[in-house]
Amino acid sequence: MRRLQPSGAGPLAWCGILLATTLALFLFQHLLWLVLPFLFGLIAYYFLYPPVQRLVFAGFSQEAAANITVGAFAVLLIACFALMLPWFAAHAVSVQDTGQRYLQGGLALLDETLRALETQSRFMRDAHVADAVSSHIAAAGEGFAQERLPGLMMGVAAWLPSFLLAPFLAYFFLRDGRRFQRFLARAMPNAYFERTLHLLYEVDRTARAYFQGLIKLTVLDALCLAFGLWLIGLSSPLMLGLITAVLAWVPYVGSILGCAVVVMVAATDFPGSPGVAYAAVGLFVFVRLLDDFVFMPLTIGRSLKMHPLVTVLMIFVGGAVAGVAGLLLVLPVLGVVMVIGETASIVAADPRLRARHAHARQLRLQSVTRDLG
Amino acid sequence: MRFFGRDDEPAALQPLRQIKLFSSLSARELKVVHGLRHERQYLAGEIVFDQGDEGQAIYAIVEGEVEILRADGGSPHRLALLAPGEVFGELALLDQAPRAAQARAHSDCRLVVFFRADFMSLLETHPKIASKIALSLARHLGGRLRQANAGARQEGHL
Repeated sequence: MRRLQPSGAGPLAWCGILLATTLALFLFQHLLWLVLPFLFGLIAYYFLYPPVQRLVFAGFSQEAAANITVGAFAVLLIACFALMLPWFAAHAVSVQDTGQRYLQGGLALLDETLRALETQSRFMRDAHVADAVSSHIAAAGEGFAQERLPGLMMGVAAWLPSFLLAPFLAYFFLRDGRRFQRFLARAMPNAYFERTLHLLYEVDRTARAYFQGLIKLTVLDALCLAFGLWLIGLSSPLMLGLITAVLAWVPYVGSILGCAVVVMVAATDFPGSPGVAYAAVGLFVFVRLLDDFVFMPLTIGRSLKMHPLVTVLMIFVGGAVAGVAGLLLVLPVLGVVMVIGETASIVAADPRLRARHAHARQLRLQSVTRDLG
Repeated sequence: MRFFGRDDEPAALQPLRQIKLFSSLSARELKVVHGLRHERQYLAGEIVFDQGDEGQAIYAIVEGEVEILRADGGSPHRLALLAPGEVFGELALLDQAPRAAQARAHSDCRLVVFFRADFMSLLETHPKIASKIALSLARHLGGRLRQANAGARQEGHL
Protein backbone atom coordinates (compact mmCIF):
# COMPACT_ATOMS: atom_id res chain seq x y z
CA MET A 1 0.00 0.00 0.00
CA ARG A 2 1.68 3.16 -1.23
CA ARG A 3 1.11 6.18 0.95
CA LEU A 4 1.58 9.66 -0.50
CA GLN A 5 2.10 12.35 2.12
CA PRO A 6 -0.30 15.24 1.56
CA SER A 7 1.28 18.66 1.10
CA GLY A 8 -0.22 21.91 2.48
CA ALA A 9 -2.82 24.06 0.77
CA GLY A 10 -1.55 25.41 -2.55
CA PRO A 11 -2.09 28.79 -4.24
CA LEU A 12 -5.29 27.55 -5.89
CA ALA A 13 -6.70 26.53 -2.51
CA TRP A 14 -5.75 29.94 -1.09
CA CYS A 15 -7.52 31.72 -3.97
CA GLY A 16 -10.56 29.58 -3.15
CA ILE A 17 -10.32 30.52 0.55
CA LEU A 18 -10.19 34.26 -0.21
CA LEU A 19 -13.00 33.96 -2.76
CA ALA A 20 -15.16 31.92 -0.38
CA THR A 21 -14.59 34.50 2.39
CA THR A 22 -15.60 37.34 0.05
CA LEU A 23 -18.67 35.43 -1.12
CA ALA A 24 -19.64 34.60 2.47
CA LEU A 25 -19.37 38.28 3.44
CA PHE A 26 -21.49 39.25 0.44
CA LEU A 27 -24.17 36.74 1.46
CA PHE A 28 -23.97 37.66 5.14
CA GLN A 29 -24.63 41.29 4.22
CA HIS A 30 -28.12 40.20 3.10
CA LEU A 31 -28.64 38.04 6.19
CA LEU A 32 -27.45 40.49 8.83
CA TRP A 33 -30.64 39.99 10.89
CA LEU A 34 -29.37 36.43 11.49
CA VAL A 35 -25.60 36.81 11.19
CA LEU A 36 -25.17 39.55 13.79
CA PRO A 37 -27.22 37.79 16.53
CA PHE A 38 -25.24 34.65 15.63
CA LEU A 39 -21.97 36.59 16.04
CA PHE A 40 -23.06 38.07 19.39
CA GLY A 41 -24.25 34.61 20.42
CA LEU A 42 -20.80 33.23 19.62
CA ILE A 43 -19.12 36.02 21.62
CA ALA A 44 -21.42 35.24 24.59
CA TYR A 45 -20.70 31.50 24.13
CA TYR A 46 -16.94 31.94 24.24
CA PHE A 47 -17.29 34.43 27.13
CA LEU A 48 -19.30 31.91 29.17
CA TYR A 49 -17.35 28.85 28.05
CA PRO A 50 -14.61 29.04 30.78
CA PRO A 51 -17.11 29.14 33.74
CA VAL A 52 -19.04 26.24 32.17
CA GLN A 53 -15.79 24.26 31.90
CA ARG A 54 -15.00 25.06 35.55
CA LEU A 55 -18.37 23.69 36.60
CA VAL A 56 -17.83 20.57 34.47
CA PHE A 57 -14.44 20.26 36.16
CA ALA A 58 -16.20 20.48 39.54
CA GLY A 59 -18.33 17.46 38.60
CA PHE A 60 -21.46 18.93 36.96
CA SER A 61 -22.76 17.54 33.69
CA GLN A 62 -22.41 19.70 30.57
CA GLU A 63 -26.15 20.40 30.58
CA ALA A 64 -26.29 21.35 34.27
CA ALA A 65 -23.17 23.54 33.91
CA ALA A 66 -24.71 25.36 30.92
CA ASN A 67 -28.01 25.84 32.79
CA ILE A 68 -26.31 27.21 35.91
CA THR A 69 -23.93 29.53 34.02
CA VAL A 70 -26.51 30.97 31.61
CA GLY A 71 -29.06 31.25 34.44
CA ALA A 72 -26.60 33.16 36.67
CA PHE A 73 -25.61 35.40 33.77
CA ALA A 74 -29.26 36.13 32.92
CA VAL A 75 -30.05 36.94 36.57
CA LEU A 76 -27.04 39.30 36.66
CA LEU A 77 -28.15 41.04 33.46
CA ILE A 78 -31.75 41.38 34.66
CA ALA A 79 -30.53 42.77 38.01
CA CYS A 80 -28.30 45.31 36.21
CA PHE A 81 -31.18 46.26 33.91
CA ALA A 82 -33.58 46.60 36.85
CA LEU A 83 -31.11 48.83 38.69
CA MET A 84 -30.41 50.95 35.60
CA LEU A 85 -34.02 51.34 34.48
CA PRO A 86 -35.15 53.92 37.10
CA TRP A 87 -31.96 55.91 36.58
CA PHE A 88 -32.38 55.82 32.80
CA ALA A 89 -36.07 56.79 33.03
CA ALA A 90 -35.18 59.76 35.22
CA HIS A 91 -32.29 60.87 33.03
CA ALA A 92 -33.64 60.02 29.56
CA VAL A 93 -34.10 63.67 28.62
CA SER A 94 -30.79 64.77 30.13
CA VAL A 95 -28.97 61.89 28.36
CA GLN A 96 -30.24 63.25 25.06
CA ASP A 97 -29.19 66.79 26.08
CA THR A 98 -25.75 65.51 27.15
CA GLY A 99 -25.30 63.83 23.75
CA GLN A 100 -26.13 67.06 21.98
CA ARG A 101 -23.87 69.04 24.31
CA TYR A 102 -20.94 66.71 23.56
CA LEU A 103 -21.65 66.93 19.83
CA GLN A 104 -21.67 70.76 20.03
CA GLY A 105 -18.44 70.66 22.07
CA GLY A 106 -16.74 68.51 19.42
CA LEU A 107 -17.92 70.76 16.60
CA ALA A 108 -16.75 73.84 18.50
CA LEU A 109 -13.29 72.26 18.88
CA LEU A 110 -13.17 71.47 15.16
CA ASP A 111 -14.19 75.03 14.33
CA GLU A 112 -11.58 76.48 16.72
CA THR A 113 -8.86 74.22 15.29
CA LEU A 114 -9.68 75.16 11.68
CA ARG A 115 -9.77 78.87 12.50
CA ALA A 116 -6.41 78.54 14.29
CA LEU A 117 -5.03 76.85 11.17
CA GLU A 118 -6.47 79.63 9.00
CA THR A 119 -4.44 82.18 10.93
CA GLN A 120 -1.30 80.15 10.09
CA SER A 121 -2.08 79.33 6.45
CA ARG A 122 -3.01 81.92 3.83
CA PHE A 123 -4.29 79.20 1.48
CA MET A 124 -6.79 77.95 4.08
CA ARG A 125 -7.81 81.49 4.94
CA ASP A 126 -8.49 82.31 1.27
CA ALA A 127 -10.48 79.11 0.87
CA HIS A 128 -12.59 79.90 4.02
CA VAL A 129 -12.14 76.31 5.13
CA ALA A 130 -13.65 76.80 8.61
CA ASP A 131 -16.85 78.38 7.25
CA ALA A 132 -17.18 75.78 4.49
CA VAL A 133 -16.75 72.85 6.90
CA SER A 134 -19.20 74.39 9.42
CA SER A 135 -21.89 74.91 6.78
CA HIS A 136 -21.36 71.38 5.40
CA ILE A 137 -21.71 69.86 8.88
CA ALA A 138 -24.82 71.93 9.63
CA ALA A 139 -26.42 70.87 6.33
CA ALA A 140 -25.46 67.24 6.88
CA GLY A 141 -26.87 67.37 10.43
CA GLU A 142 -30.21 68.79 9.24
CA GLY A 143 -30.40 66.30 6.37
CA PHE A 144 -29.54 63.44 8.74
CA ALA A 145 -32.20 64.46 11.26
CA GLN A 146 -34.88 64.87 8.61
CA GLU A 147 -34.11 62.08 6.13
CA ARG A 148 -32.01 59.37 7.75
CA LEU A 149 -32.82 59.43 11.49
CA PRO A 150 -36.42 58.15 11.30
CA GLY A 151 -35.34 55.28 9.01
CA LEU A 152 -32.40 54.46 11.28
CA MET A 153 -34.61 54.42 14.38
CA MET A 154 -37.15 52.18 12.63
CA GLY A 155 -34.32 49.87 11.53
CA VAL A 156 -33.00 49.60 15.10
CA ALA A 157 -36.53 48.89 16.40
CA ALA A 158 -37.02 46.17 13.75
CA TRP A 159 -33.64 44.60 14.58
CA LEU A 160 -34.09 44.46 18.35
CA PRO A 161 -36.17 41.24 18.41
CA SER A 162 -33.60 39.39 16.32
CA PHE A 163 -30.90 40.34 18.86
CA LEU A 164 -32.90 38.43 21.48
CA LEU A 165 -31.78 35.35 19.54
CA ALA A 166 -28.19 35.85 20.74
CA PRO A 167 -28.64 34.58 24.35
CA PHE A 168 -30.68 31.60 23.12
CA LEU A 169 -27.99 30.70 20.60
CA ALA A 170 -25.27 31.04 23.25
CA TYR A 171 -27.21 28.74 25.61
CA PHE A 172 -27.71 26.02 23.01
CA PHE A 173 -24.08 26.29 21.83
CA LEU A 174 -22.99 25.74 25.44
CA ARG A 175 -25.43 22.89 26.09
CA ASP A 176 -25.42 21.00 22.79
CA GLY A 177 -22.22 22.11 21.04
CA ARG A 178 -20.53 18.73 21.46
CA ARG A 179 -23.67 16.87 20.38
CA PHE A 180 -23.84 19.00 17.23
CA GLN A 181 -20.17 18.26 16.53
CA ARG A 182 -20.90 14.52 16.79
CA PHE A 183 -23.93 14.94 14.53
CA LEU A 184 -21.77 16.60 11.86
CA ALA A 185 -19.03 13.95 12.18
CA ARG A 186 -21.64 11.18 11.79
CA ALA A 187 -22.53 12.50 8.34
CA MET A 188 -18.98 11.97 7.08
CA PRO A 189 -17.91 8.78 5.26
CA ASN A 190 -15.56 6.49 7.22
CA ALA A 191 -12.55 7.34 5.01
CA TYR A 192 -12.74 11.05 5.88
CA PHE A 193 -13.96 10.64 9.44
CA GLU A 194 -10.73 11.23 11.40
CA ARG A 195 -9.74 14.19 9.23
CA THR A 196 -13.22 15.70 9.67
CA LEU A 197 -13.00 15.34 13.44
CA HIS A 198 -9.67 17.12 13.31
CA LEU A 199 -11.18 19.83 11.08
CA LEU A 200 -14.11 20.42 13.47
CA TYR A 201 -11.69 20.63 16.37
CA GLU A 202 -9.53 23.15 14.48
CA VAL A 203 -12.54 25.31 13.52
CA ASP A 204 -13.65 25.34 17.16
CA ARG A 205 -10.11 26.10 18.35
CA THR A 206 -9.71 28.97 15.85
CA ALA A 207 -13.08 30.53 16.62
CA ARG A 208 -12.53 30.14 20.39
CA ALA A 209 -9.05 31.67 20.18
CA TYR A 210 -10.40 34.58 18.12
CA PHE A 211 -13.38 35.43 20.30
CA GLN A 212 -11.66 34.86 23.64
CA GLY A 213 -8.75 36.96 22.29
CA LEU A 214 -11.24 39.66 21.32
CA ILE A 215 -12.73 39.68 24.82
CA LYS A 216 -9.26 39.91 26.43
CA LEU A 217 -8.27 42.66 23.98
CA THR A 218 -11.42 44.64 24.83
CA VAL A 219 -10.70 44.41 28.57
CA LEU A 220 -7.04 45.46 28.10
CA ASP A 221 -8.00 48.35 25.78
CA ALA A 222 -10.77 49.53 28.09
CA LEU A 223 -8.49 49.50 31.15
CA CYS A 224 -5.61 51.30 29.38
CA LEU A 225 -7.90 53.97 27.91
CA ALA A 226 -9.76 54.39 31.21
CA PHE A 227 -6.48 54.87 33.09
CA GLY A 228 -5.21 57.40 30.52
CA LEU A 229 -8.49 59.34 30.45
CA TRP A 230 -8.57 59.37 34.26
CA LEU A 231 -5.04 60.82 34.26
CA ILE A 232 -6.11 63.52 31.78
CA GLY A 233 -9.09 64.29 34.02
CA LEU A 234 -12.04 63.39 31.78
CA SER A 235 -15.41 62.45 33.28
CA SER A 236 -16.60 58.78 33.31
CA PRO A 237 -13.22 57.36 32.13
CA LEU A 238 -14.22 53.70 32.60
CA MET A 239 -17.45 54.08 30.61
CA LEU A 240 -15.62 55.95 27.82
CA GLY A 241 -12.83 53.36 27.78
CA LEU A 242 -15.35 50.51 27.50
CA ILE A 243 -17.37 52.22 24.72
CA THR A 244 -14.25 52.96 22.65
CA ALA A 245 -12.86 49.43 23.21
CA VAL A 246 -16.14 47.87 22.01
CA LEU A 247 -16.27 50.24 19.02
CA ALA A 248 -12.75 49.03 18.11
CA TRP A 249 -14.29 45.62 17.24
CA VAL A 250 -14.98 47.20 13.85
CA PRO A 251 -11.53 47.69 12.26
CA TYR A 252 -10.62 51.29 11.27
CA VAL A 253 -14.12 52.81 11.34
CA GLY A 254 -14.68 51.78 14.96
CA SER A 255 -11.34 53.24 16.06
CA ILE A 256 -12.04 56.56 14.32
CA LEU A 257 -15.53 56.71 15.86
CA GLY A 258 -14.10 55.88 19.31
CA CYS A 259 -11.49 58.63 18.97
CA ALA A 260 -14.21 61.10 17.89
CA VAL A 261 -16.30 60.23 20.99
CA VAL A 262 -13.30 60.78 23.32
CA VAL A 263 -12.40 64.09 21.62
CA MET A 264 -16.01 65.32 21.85
CA VAL A 265 -16.11 64.57 25.57
CA ALA A 266 -12.72 66.22 26.13
CA ALA A 267 -13.70 69.34 24.14
CA THR A 268 -16.99 69.67 26.08
CA ASP A 269 -15.55 69.00 29.55
CA PHE A 270 -12.69 71.48 28.95
CA PRO A 271 -14.08 74.01 26.45
CA GLY A 272 -11.35 76.61 26.94
CA SER A 273 -8.37 74.28 26.71
CA PRO A 274 -8.00 72.39 23.42
CA GLY A 275 -4.78 70.87 24.81
CA VAL A 276 -6.88 68.32 26.75
CA ALA A 277 -8.59 67.21 23.54
CA TYR A 278 -5.21 66.90 21.80
CA ALA A 279 -3.90 64.92 24.81
CA ALA A 280 -6.92 62.60 24.44
CA VAL A 281 -6.11 62.12 20.74
CA GLY A 282 -2.46 61.41 21.69
CA LEU A 283 -3.61 58.88 24.30
CA PHE A 284 -5.89 57.23 21.75
CA VAL A 285 -3.10 56.93 19.18
CA PHE A 286 -0.75 55.55 21.88
CA VAL A 287 -3.30 52.90 22.96
CA ARG A 288 -3.97 51.95 19.31
CA LEU A 289 -0.22 51.47 18.76
CA LEU A 290 0.00 49.45 21.99
CA ASP A 291 -2.99 47.47 20.76
CA ASP A 292 -1.56 46.77 17.29
CA PHE A 293 1.99 45.91 18.36
CA VAL A 294 1.60 44.37 21.83
CA PHE A 295 -1.94 43.35 22.78
CA MET A 296 -3.17 42.15 19.37
CA PRO A 297 -0.21 39.79 18.71
CA LEU A 298 -0.58 38.47 22.28
CA THR A 299 -4.30 37.79 22.00
CA ILE A 300 -5.95 37.53 18.54
CA GLY A 301 -2.91 37.52 16.22
CA ARG A 302 -1.27 34.56 17.89
CA SER A 303 -4.44 32.53 17.65
CA LEU A 304 -5.31 33.03 13.99
CA LYS A 305 -1.80 32.54 12.58
CA MET A 306 -2.59 34.68 9.56
CA HIS A 307 -0.14 36.57 7.42
CA PRO A 308 -0.48 40.33 8.15
CA LEU A 309 -0.70 41.14 4.42
CA VAL A 310 -3.66 38.77 3.97
CA THR A 311 -5.34 40.23 7.08
CA VAL A 312 -5.03 43.85 5.92
CA LEU A 313 -6.04 42.99 2.35
CA MET A 314 -9.12 41.09 3.51
CA ILE A 315 -10.15 43.91 5.88
CA PHE A 316 -10.26 46.24 2.84
CA VAL A 317 -12.13 43.64 0.79
CA GLY A 318 -14.61 43.07 3.67
CA GLY A 319 -15.27 46.82 3.92
CA ALA A 320 -15.75 47.13 0.15
CA VAL A 321 -18.06 44.10 -0.13
CA ALA A 322 -20.21 44.43 3.00
CA GLY A 323 -19.48 47.84 4.57
CA VAL A 324 -19.23 48.13 8.35
CA ALA A 325 -20.66 44.63 8.84
CA GLY A 326 -17.96 43.30 6.50
CA LEU A 327 -15.26 45.00 8.56
CA LEU A 328 -16.69 43.43 11.72
CA LEU A 329 -17.07 39.94 10.27
CA VAL A 330 -14.10 39.61 7.95
CA LEU A 331 -11.50 38.28 10.43
CA PRO A 332 -13.58 35.57 12.13
CA VAL A 333 -15.05 34.46 8.78
CA LEU A 334 -11.60 34.37 7.18
CA GLY A 335 -10.23 32.38 10.15
CA VAL A 336 -12.93 29.71 9.90
CA VAL A 337 -12.89 29.54 6.06
CA MET A 338 -9.09 29.30 6.16
CA VAL A 339 -9.16 26.23 8.43
CA ILE A 340 -11.96 24.56 6.43
CA GLY A 341 -10.33 25.40 3.08
CA GLU A 342 -6.86 24.22 4.06
CA THR A 343 -8.10 20.91 5.48
CA ALA A 344 -10.62 20.31 2.68
CA SER A 345 -7.96 20.92 0.02
CA ILE A 346 -5.58 18.49 1.74
CA VAL A 347 -8.30 15.84 2.12
CA ALA A 348 -9.61 16.28 -1.44
CA ALA A 349 -6.08 16.10 -2.85
CA ASP A 350 -5.25 12.85 -0.99
CA PRO A 351 -5.62 10.00 -3.55
CA ARG A 352 -5.42 7.32 -0.85
CA LEU A 353 -8.42 8.71 1.05
CA ARG A 354 -10.39 8.95 -2.20
CA ALA A 355 -9.45 5.36 -3.06
CA ARG A 356 -10.48 4.16 0.42
CA HIS A 357 -13.82 5.93 0.10
CA ALA A 358 -14.42 4.40 -3.35
CA HIS A 359 -13.51 0.95 -1.93
CA ALA A 360 -15.93 1.40 0.98
CA ARG A 361 -18.73 2.40 -1.42
CA GLN A 362 -18.03 -0.67 -3.53
CA LEU A 363 -18.22 -2.87 -0.43
CA ARG A 364 -21.55 -1.30 0.54
CA LEU A 365 -22.93 -1.83 -2.94
CA GLN A 366 -21.84 -5.49 -2.87
CA SER A 367 -23.38 -5.89 0.57
CA VAL A 368 -26.82 -4.58 -0.48
CA THR A 369 -26.90 -6.36 -3.90
CA ARG A 370 -25.58 -9.75 -2.74
CA ASP A 371 -28.97 -11.51 -3.03
CA LEU A 372 -30.09 -9.81 -6.24
CA GLY A 373 -28.38 -12.29 -8.50
CA MET B 1 -33.12 -4.38 43.11
CA ARG B 2 -29.84 -2.60 43.79
CA PHE B 3 -29.88 1.18 44.04
CA PHE B 4 -26.21 1.92 43.54
CA GLY B 5 -24.95 -1.10 41.68
CA ARG B 6 -23.97 -1.60 38.07
CA ASP B 7 -27.42 -3.13 37.40
CA ASP B 8 -28.71 0.45 37.27
CA GLU B 9 -26.54 1.31 34.29
CA PRO B 10 -28.55 2.42 31.27
CA ALA B 11 -28.51 0.02 28.32
CA ALA B 12 -26.68 2.67 26.23
CA LEU B 13 -23.64 2.28 28.51
CA GLN B 14 -23.41 -1.51 28.15
CA PRO B 15 -21.30 -1.47 24.95
CA LEU B 16 -18.75 0.76 26.68
CA ARG B 17 -18.73 -1.41 29.83
CA GLN B 18 -17.37 -4.38 27.86
CA ILE B 19 -14.37 -2.35 26.62
CA LYS B 20 -11.34 -3.25 28.74
CA LEU B 21 -10.03 0.31 28.79
CA PHE B 22 -13.12 1.47 30.71
CA SER B 23 -13.61 -1.56 32.95
CA SER B 24 -12.46 0.33 36.07
CA LEU B 25 -14.85 3.27 35.60
CA SER B 26 -17.97 3.72 37.73
CA ALA B 27 -21.39 4.12 36.05
CA ARG B 28 -21.25 7.88 36.52
CA GLU B 29 -17.74 8.10 35.07
CA LEU B 30 -18.75 5.89 32.17
CA LYS B 31 -21.59 8.31 31.42
CA VAL B 32 -19.06 11.13 31.01
CA VAL B 33 -16.99 8.98 28.62
CA HIS B 34 -20.19 8.02 26.78
CA GLY B 35 -20.74 11.71 25.99
CA LEU B 36 -17.41 11.87 24.17
CA ARG B 37 -17.73 8.81 21.97
CA HIS B 38 -18.43 8.59 18.24
CA GLU B 39 -19.91 5.41 16.75
CA ARG B 40 -18.89 4.06 13.35
CA GLN B 41 -19.86 0.97 11.36
CA TYR B 42 -17.47 -0.76 8.98
CA LEU B 43 -18.03 -3.57 6.48
CA ALA B 44 -15.70 -6.57 6.26
CA GLY B 45 -12.61 -5.53 4.27
CA GLU B 46 -13.06 -1.79 4.88
CA ILE B 47 -9.98 0.08 6.06
CA VAL B 48 -10.31 1.84 9.40
CA PHE B 49 -6.98 3.63 9.11
CA ASP B 50 -3.80 3.25 7.10
CA GLN B 51 -0.21 2.71 8.13
CA GLY B 52 1.39 6.18 8.00
CA ASP B 53 -1.85 8.12 8.69
CA GLU B 54 -1.70 10.88 11.25
CA GLY B 55 -3.32 9.36 14.35
CA GLN B 56 -6.11 11.49 15.79
CA ALA B 57 -8.32 8.93 17.52
CA ILE B 58 -8.42 5.68 19.49
CA TYR B 59 -10.84 2.89 18.47
CA ALA B 60 -12.60 0.24 20.53
CA ILE B 61 -14.48 -2.76 19.14
CA VAL B 62 -18.12 -3.19 20.20
CA GLU B 63 -19.06 -5.83 17.62
CA GLY B 64 -17.07 -7.77 15.00
CA GLU B 65 -13.36 -8.25 14.51
CA VAL B 66 -10.56 -6.00 13.28
CA GLU B 67 -7.21 -7.16 11.93
CA ILE B 68 -4.01 -5.19 12.32
CA LEU B 69 -1.73 -5.44 9.28
CA ARG B 70 1.73 -4.18 8.68
CA ALA B 71 3.66 -3.85 5.43
CA ASP B 72 7.41 -3.73 5.93
CA GLY B 73 8.43 -3.16 2.34
CA GLY B 74 6.58 -6.21 0.93
CA SER B 75 3.01 -7.42 1.17
CA PRO B 76 1.14 -6.73 4.43
CA HIS B 77 1.22 -9.41 7.14
CA ARG B 78 -1.18 -9.77 10.02
CA LEU B 79 0.04 -8.67 13.46
CA ALA B 80 -3.15 -9.31 15.39
CA LEU B 81 -6.83 -10.12 15.13
CA LEU B 82 -8.80 -8.13 17.68
CA ALA B 83 -12.14 -9.14 19.21
CA PRO B 84 -14.94 -7.13 20.86
CA GLY B 85 -13.81 -5.22 23.95
CA GLU B 86 -10.30 -4.61 22.61
CA VAL B 87 -8.85 -1.26 21.62
CA PHE B 88 -6.45 -0.23 18.86
CA GLY B 89 -4.82 2.95 17.59
CA GLU B 90 -4.10 3.76 21.22
CA LEU B 91 -0.71 5.38 20.52
CA ALA B 92 -2.64 8.31 18.97
CA LEU B 93 -3.65 9.28 22.51
CA LEU B 94 -0.03 9.62 23.54
CA ASP B 95 1.43 11.39 20.52
CA GLN B 96 0.53 12.39 16.97
CA ALA B 97 3.05 10.03 15.39
CA PRO B 98 2.01 8.29 12.14
CA ARG B 99 0.04 5.05 12.56
CA ALA B 100 2.46 2.11 12.84
CA ALA B 101 0.10 -0.35 11.11
CA GLN B 102 -3.08 -0.60 9.08
CA ALA B 103 -6.40 -1.50 10.72
CA ARG B 104 -8.96 -3.30 8.55
CA ALA B 105 -12.39 -4.68 9.44
CA HIS B 106 -12.16 -8.52 9.37
CA SER B 107 -15.92 -8.83 9.64
CA ASP B 108 -18.74 -6.32 9.67
CA CYS B 109 -18.11 -4.38 12.84
CA ARG B 110 -19.26 -1.58 15.09
CA LEU B 111 -16.59 0.60 16.66
CA VAL B 112 -16.59 3.41 19.18
CA VAL B 113 -14.08 6.16 18.56
CA PHE B 114 -12.57 8.69 20.93
CA PHE B 115 -10.94 11.76 19.49
CA ARG B 116 -7.52 12.70 20.87
CA ALA B 117 -8.52 16.32 21.65
CA ASP B 118 -11.57 15.11 23.62
CA PHE B 119 -9.35 12.82 25.69
CA MET B 120 -6.93 15.72 26.31
CA SER B 121 -9.81 17.91 27.51
CA LEU B 122 -10.90 15.02 29.75
CA LEU B 123 -7.48 15.28 31.44
CA GLU B 124 -8.37 18.84 32.43
CA THR B 125 -12.07 18.50 33.21
CA HIS B 126 -12.15 14.99 34.74
CA PRO B 127 -8.59 14.11 35.81
CA LYS B 128 -9.78 11.13 37.90
CA ILE B 129 -11.47 9.48 34.91
CA ALA B 130 -8.53 10.34 32.65
CA SER B 131 -6.04 8.85 35.13
CA LYS B 132 -8.07 5.62 35.38
CA ILE B 133 -8.13 5.34 31.58
CA ALA B 134 -4.42 6.20 31.38
CA LEU B 135 -3.64 3.45 33.93
CA SER B 136 -5.66 0.91 31.94
CA LEU B 137 -3.89 2.09 28.79
CA ALA B 138 -0.48 1.70 30.43
CA ARG B 139 -1.41 -1.86 31.50
CA HIS B 140 -2.64 -2.59 27.98
CA LEU B 141 0.60 -1.28 26.43
CA GLY B 142 2.64 -3.22 29.01
CA GLY B 143 0.81 -6.40 27.98
CA ARG B 144 1.53 -5.68 24.31
CA LEU B 145 5.21 -5.11 25.12
CA ARG B 146 5.41 -8.39 27.04
CA GLN B 147 3.75 -10.20 24.12
CA ALA B 148 6.22 -8.64 21.68
CA ASN B 149 9.19 -9.60 23.90
CA ALA B 150 7.91 -13.15 24.24
CA GLY B 151 7.47 -13.36 20.46
CA ALA B 152 10.99 -12.05 19.84
CA ARG B 153 12.42 -14.57 22.35
CA GLN B 154 10.59 -17.47 20.65
CA GLU B 155 11.83 -16.36 17.23
CA GLY B 156 15.37 -16.20 18.67
CA HIS B 157 15.08 -19.83 19.90
CA LEU B 158 13.73 -20.98 16.56
